[in-house]
Amino acid sequence: MAGSRLEKFGTVFTRVRDLMRSGVVKQSDKPIWYDVYKTFPPMKDPLYVRPVAKRYGKKEEAVPDIFYREDEIRLSFFLPFCRFVEKYTEFESQGELEKQSLFEETGKALLAEGLGLRRRGIPAVASETRNPVLGMKLTDMLAEQQADAPGGTRVPGKEKPTQATLNPQ
Amino acid sequence: MAAGVLTKGLCGFRQPRIVAAGYSCSGPLYATATAVKTLPLQTDSTAVTDEIQNLPLETPDFFRLSELFSLKDLFDARVHLGHKKGCRHRLMEPYLFGSRLGQDIIDLDQTMAHLQSALNFTAHIAYRGGIILFVSRRRQFSHVVESTAGDCGEYAHTRYWQGGLLTNAPIQYGPGVRLPDLIVFLSTLNNVFQQHVGVRDAAKMNIPTVGVVDSNCNPSLVTYPVPGNDDTPAAMELYCRLFKMTINRAKDKRRQMELLQGLSPAGLIHGSS
Repeated sequence: MAGSRLEKFGTVFTRVRDLMRSGVVKQSDKPIWYDVYKTFPPMKDPLYVRPVAKRYGKKEEAVPDIFYREDEIRLSFFLPFCRFVEKYTEFESQGELEKQSLFEETGKALLAEGLGLRRRGIPAVASETRNPVLGMKLTDMLAEQQADAPGGTRVPGKEKPTQATLNPQ
Repeated sequence: MAAGVLTKGLCGFRQPRIVAAGYSCSGPLYATATAVKTLPLQTDSTAVTDEIQNLPLETPDFFRLSELFSLKDLFDARVHLGHKKGCRHRLMEPYLFGSRLGQDIIDLDQTMAHLQSALNFTAHIAYRGGIILFVSRRRQFSHVVESTAGDCGEYAHTRYWQGGLLTNAPIQYGPGVRLPDLIVFLSTLNNVFQQHVGVRDAAKMNIPTVGVVDSNCNPSLVTYPVPGNDDTPAAMELYCRLFKMTINRAKDKRRQMELLQGLSPAGLIHGSS
């Protein structure tokens, strides 16, 4: 059976249709898929697209980035967390304090700069309702850590999350 | 109608009268025996057979394939996950929903429509007794694809694609070989992340293709592209299951129609089914 091997010109359908129209391919030799394609064509013609080497001019962003509202909350939670970890490792490397007091010391140190940090908090309606939940988790964590420590040392741990709920403006 | 038998042999041995590649020979691999028949492309052109042939074309979803999958199924199988932004193919941009922290997310609404269209086409081809060839060069899914093909009585080629498989078939397999009427690519890339040769060869030989195109694939030559993930096992198993169910449904429907009309199902069986 005759065929057309020019995949870069037209689609499979157009080539077969034109072959039949010109009489090269007889109606009795019609491919099985021809009628099906005719009735249910694809959404986009499968034309060969020549590869373009470079896109000139301004590159417009065809595929947008996906961000959620929760990302803003994650950001406001994550940045102080980064600072906390930095301070913690600082104190740890100094090596003077024991493990139990490290947490409180970092908490106290951060409190001293607390206002500086919190100013970056991004305001959102959801954050006010969510941050108490986050705050509670932190206190629970600290409570577990300092289960045998006296109650007085827990104050910095408690104050830090509550400040988080008040400060976002 | 000549019968061809694919016999066991080593690589390089020329097999006579094989219908498009049951399993190709590559290295020390063997090809298993499959009895095949070469058939004329159309059955006896009686009015009744033509009627059976053309009846499904009147309904948009004759085989009710939309009930086989839902958007949630696609999501659970992680079909929406694409590759990273740097791997993105320019022509896949219309099919992408967005990019989450650098990873492309495929638009599942479009995937649903494309998948419906592709499965519908596959079902119609299977209904008309066409030969379907499953191709995938992903070695971790080679077994899944081959067993899928076996389960629905069609063919699979998940090994090295020799250059002249489609374009030089009469020489490689003997004269009078019947080529596949549809090629289904479960992954359009080969092992070196270039477009599979079969996509271009099928277009050359005027064979329509259905292909799962990931965000780093070129969808332009694929007749019915299905934008979706081709790397996750869950997604691949979903596609294989869907294609298997579609083809089996279509073949069962054909048998049913022929029995109703009182004909023997001579035009349908072209392999082990």
